[in-house]
Amino acid sequence: MTLPAPFPGDLLAALGLTAAQPGILMAVAVVTAAASLWLLLPKGLESRLARPVGLALGVVALAGFALAGRRLGSMGEEAVFALVALVAVGSAAATIVTRSPVYAAIWFAMALAGVSGVLLMLGAQFLGVATIIVYAGAILVMFLFVLMLAQPAGLASYDSVSSEPMLSAIAGAVLVGLLTISIGRLSATEAGVEADAEAVAEMAAEADDATVAPIPAEDPLFEDHVARLGGELFGRHLVAVEAAGVLLFVALVGAIAVVTRGEAAALAEGRPTR
Amino acid sequence: MIPSTETIAALVKIGLLVGGLMTAAAYLVLVERWIAAWVQDRKGPNRVGIPLTKIRLFGLGQPLADGLKIILKEDFTPSHVDRVLYNAAPLVILATSLAIFAAIPFGSVLPPLGIDGLPDPVPFLVAPGLSVGILWVFALSSIAVYGVLLGGWASNNKYGFLGGLRSSAQLVAYEIPLGLGLLGVVLASGSLELDVVMTRQADSGIWYAFAQPLGFLVFLIAAFAEAARLPFDLPEAEQELVGGYHTEYSGIKLLLFLVAEFLHMVTAAFLIVILFLGGWHLWGVTGSGDDIGWGMALIRFGVFSAKILAVILFFMLVRWSWPRFRFDQLMSLAWKVMLPLGLANLVIVAIVEEFRPQMVASLGATTAGWLAVLLPWGVFLVGWITAGILTPSGTDNRPIRPSLLTEDSVFAAEHVLLGNNGEHFREGGSPDEPTASGSRGSDA
Repeated sequence: MTLPAPFPGDLLAALGLTAAQPGILMAVAVVTAAASLWLLLPKGLESRLARPVGLALGVVALAGFALAGRRLGSMGEEAVFALVALVAVGSAAATIVTRSPVYAAIWFAMALAGVSGVLLMLGAQFLGVATIIVYAGAILVMFLFVLMLAQPAGLASYDSVSSEPMLSAIAGAVLVGLLTISIGRLSATEAGVEADAEAVAEMAAEADDATVAPIPAEDPLFEDHVARLGGELFGRHLVAVEAAGVLLFVALVGAIAVVTRGEAAALAEGRPTR
Repeated sequence: MIPSTETIAALVKIGLLVGGLMTAAAYLVLVERWIAAWVQDRKGPNRVGIPLTKIRLFGLGQPLADGLKIILKEDFTPSHVDRVLYNAAPLVILATSLAIFAAIPFGSVLPPLGIDGLPDPVPFLVAPGLSVGILWVFALSSIAVYGVLLGGWASNNKYGFLGGLRSSAQLVAYEIPLGLGLLGVVLASGSLELDVVMTRQADSGIWYAFAQPLGFLVFLIAAFAEAARLPFDLPEAEQELVGGYHTEYSGIKLLLFLVAEFLHMVTAAFLIVILFLGGWHLWGVTGSGDDIGWGMALIRFGVFSAKILAVILFFMLVRWSWPRFRFDQLMSLAWKVMLPLGLANLVIVAIVEEFRPQMVASLGATTAGWLAVLLPWGVFLVGWITAGILTPSGTDNRPIRPSLLTEDSVFAAEHVLLGNNGEHFREGGSPDEPTASGSRGSDA
């Protein structure tokens, strides 16, 4: 079912761009994304146009990223990737754009689901599922508990308005652009970056290994990667794992200590406890 | 574009699974009502048969009538709810409880069908390539919390909200003993794939329920709590707590919640059978290995289904046999009893698995095998007795905030309650620690 996927060159040529210009395309996409985020971020006073214009710019930016990026293997794979990527990016944007903290948490959970989908597509099954268990299943639920209990009525203005919309939009978009370039979505010839040719070639080779090929069942990574991950964690990185464990345990003890000290003080002063 | 054979096979399996699960859920509700009637010594639903005739068929038409009735009910949305999340919550919980089954095998294997592009033999599993099946189940059941939490919050009703918080706290708390029970099995089988866990039990002939009794018990109880079945079914407590997170729901959305809860029970039954009761294996009947014919495939499927049904019937019998926990009892059971017991099980399983080669080398295979089974049983007995001794058999029903009252008002209250007998209370101790004879009403 592998159909000949459209190559970026064809599409770019159709758009009247030469092969040397995806770098420019990427730059344009980054700028558009920054503008879109700036328009969408809650600033307290905005015109009625801000939201639709911001959304339109966001769509343009996403299209730009998609065009500048590299094609995957088959149509089906492209479609699935587009879906999970759209869910991840769109929800992540919605997380920072929405005013209600509860909705922000829900959108964040959606973004995690999208990221987990991308990881599953890459064959990193353990990471994909662990993302859901740890973030969506544990941490975010605690967030939701606190948010729901802390804000029964209305929102404070400082909670619903972004404090540095301009700077954060620019920083976010630039980070996304740089990461996209450095991870190697642009291949060596199309990148238009004056980089060391060898490094670029290496980068492209890595990108080929990691992202492009659908991982077949015979691949050793697929076979028992959970066992290998476990061996690696508890072999080479044993000290780090143990240190993290101790850190979490200390935090737990500290939390209990704070609570019980408060209770003891309340008892001493005759205030109601529990 | 022609989809590949594997895609078609996956779609067929998904269709079978979803259709089968929904039908099974409907009929299991009927079974549950029959069992309720049997336990309570009455007749139960036995009248609805084929519509427009007088044929009764033991009440087998009841699920259809029930479904039709609840679907045709008014889908009422209260005006004060958060509409988006109110509508999304039942979908989230139902979608996750169905998606869990992607990683759960529902039988052994089919013999080779001879179709190009299909693996030989065909596994009874929607996603056979998933090497982290157990974690997948765990992840999606932790997502189900969102349905509960959002349903309660979006209802914008204090009873619904408190119910949502209560249920989600319960789900989060019991996930820990559930995971600890599971870890024992993962350690012993060395795999995160559910079908491999079944194969290991079939190969050795020792179901993990016998090798890890404590883990089985902890997992069983935690599974009851995760499925919100009777000793833990606080959302159903209309009389005491004004229901739970779905108090404000009606019609088809309520149905989605209830079906999802029912599917959680079915999932729990599948997990209990797969992880601890040997899956499709039965001594002397099913054999082991993948090289089987059609007859054996059917027998294995039958054994597997029979076990699932038996566990579900056990769930239903428990429902009509026990009273409900109070919320604090439920929580202290999770944190003070189940968690230590689960840890004890994990430790003994880890020790046994670590030293199994040495034991086999020094004691011989038979003795080592017996020791590997007997050691966990010893820990089971010790743990069980310790938990029984350390946790009080009765519960403390004194008011939870004695220090809110001044000492005088406590004295006055005691005075009224006990007559002049309240005198010793003032001398006996602080209101926070009433003496045995001074606690409210204990010697009245």
